[in-house]
Amino acid sequence: MKLFDKYNRVNIAVTVVIMLVTGIIYYYTISHILTNQIDKDLVLEENEIFSYVNKNHRLPDVYESNHQQIVFAPLGDKNTARRFLDTTYHDSDQKDLEAGRALISSVNISGQNYRILVTQSKVETEDLIQIIFLITIGVIVSLLVILIVLNRVILKSIWKPFYKVLFQLKEFSLAGHATINSTPSNIDEFTELDQAVISMAHRVKSDYQNLKAFTENASHELMTPISVINSKLDTLVQTDEFTDRQSKLLNDIYGTVTRLTRLNKSMLLLAKIENGLIQDNQDVDIKEVIEECLYQHEEMIHQLNIKLVTDLRDKHLQANKSLVEILLNNLLSNAIRHNHQDGELSVYLDSEKLTISNTGEGSFDFQQVLKRFHKSDGSEGIGLGLTLCKQICDNYGFKLHYLHNSQTHTFSVTF
Amino acid sequence: MKILIVEDETGLRDSIEAYFTGSDSICETANDFTSALAKVSVYRYDCIILDLTLPHGNGLNIVKHLKENNHNDGVLIISAKDSLDDRLTGLDLGADDYLTKPFHLSELKSRVTAIVRRRSFNGSNNLKFNEIEIDLDAKAVKVKDAVVKFTRKEYSLLLYFIANKGKVVSKSAIAEHLWGDSIDIADNFDFIYSHIKNIRKKLVEAGGNDYIQAAYGMGYKFTDA
Repeated sequence: MKLFDKYNRVNIAVTVVIMLVTGIIYYYTISHILTNQIDKDLVLEENEIFSYVNKNHRLPDVYESNHQQIVFAPLGDKNTARRFLDTTYHDSDQKDLEAGRALISSVNISGQNYRILVTQSKVETEDLIQIIFLITIGVIVSLLVILIVLNRVILKSIWKPFYKVLFQLKEFSLAGHATINSTPSNIDEFTELDQAVISMAHRVKSDYQNLKAFTENASHELMTPISVINSKLDTLVQTDEFTDRQSKLLNDIYGTVTRLTRLNKSMLLLAKIENGLIQDNQDVDIKEVIEECLYQHEEMIHQLNIKLVTDLRDKHLQANKSLVEILLNNLLSNAIRHNHQDGELSVYLDSEKLTISNTGEGSFDFQQVLKRFHKSDGSEGIGLGLTLCKQICDNYGFKLHYLHNSQTHTFSVTF
Repeated sequence: MKILIVEDETGLRDSIEAYFTGSDSICETANDFTSALAKVSVYRYDCIILDLTLPHGNGLNIVKHLKENNHNDGVLIISAKDSLDDRLTGLDLGADDYLTKPFHLSELKSRVTAIVRRRSFNGSNNLKFNEIEIDLDAKAVKVKDAVVKFTRKEYSLLLYFIANKGKVVSKSAIAEHLWGDSIDIADNFDFIYSHIKNIRKKLVEAGGNDYIQAAYGMGYKFTDA
């Protein structure tokens, strides 16, 4: 639920309850005041009857006035208590019943008791109350409408800085270059939020930068000792005769150093791409790069007796050549290495898309292999190949897709 | 040939010096910017192997110094920084080649030899090794005056061996020279064997000698001994 809705709901509920309670209190108060007024009229009438009786020693003529009726009834010896009561009023003109108010009293005329019943119609009072009630309802409704509209407008404008900050937070990306801009507001809380967000983003970014810089520097610094090991090995093999056992050990060391070098190079490259350090865009002939890659792998293709199908159209891109080479080489190399004997490899290139399909056993979870250092069973790689591919594609806004169906793996790059 | 090795990392400098010192080379070394500058100011070299990150100064300034004084020494930059910026700046300033650390000594030797050969270019750009004659411009190989067809990789491998003659060249180094980073090393050893088998066959069939010896299962050695 949006803050606005939540706030409105509470606000409206409270307003309605308060208004209802006020209305009820209002109703009873008004009703009480008006009844008192009628009672006064009745007492006035009673007094008139008393004064008439005192003067003339007989009951006055009963006449019907507007909304008032007087009825006398002989009581004999009995007496009756004086009281007010709510009753019905029979309007002689309209022949219907109306709410009425009555006063019962008694008078003594020459030893004879008479009951006096003065009834007055309450219809005007009721009308008045009804009008007051309608006005109250009207006020409540218009107040609610005004409240809703006002809340909407005011909240929207007051919360604007908040939504701006929120939007920037949503758009915030560690690797991105966009920074969070200050959102001025004259509300202290929002100014504080804004400052907190900006300083947090700044801190997170600088931490991330430091981490990336560390990865890059560490990989860099490792290159020198690795090159010393490499050169010492090259020197060592010149020195003397070696037994089979020794040369086997030396081969293993060579292989390991090479792996170490590649791992390090890949990490360095990843760090560089992430740091946006690779620019030097130039015109790259994709077709030429693919052909060179296939040439590099010709021995392997030949050995596995892979049936190679290519349909390469001209495609040029503005990109860093070595990155494109790494991307295409990794994809093609995977397609060849994970192929089986007498398998197939097809490479299609047009101006929009490069598609590489190969036969091969098993399947894998694409999202999983994109993770760093993920290795499928039996893989000899270092587990950074596809991560690099994805990173390179992201860097240039290419889309990397993977499709698997019955023994065929298809990777496609949409430029 | 006369070579100056400018490298502050002792281990690497010693290895390079040991590898290059031999029948046809004289090596001098410098371990920082100042001593390197002092040397290039006085002596001339066929090739200077130059590290860029040096104590007391940037190696690129040595390239600049050579250029400003119209010294024509060959320069091969070796750097741990594989940045295109450095590479381009270095080459723009007049360096001949750029090699990223780590590298195999045989690769370094082959690059240096190529630079020196280009520099001492006299009329025809031909390389002769006994009965083998290589036209470097046309990339054509003749054995006893008869043209022998080599594939691109075989040709490249033959040149690599000749540049490193008398040295054991490891399979790792060969694989890296032929395929770069594009293929996993372990995949390659069989392919290296078949390429070498082809080269031997072609040389012998054309009446040449078999100069390539297997070296204890670790690599190969090209030798006319």
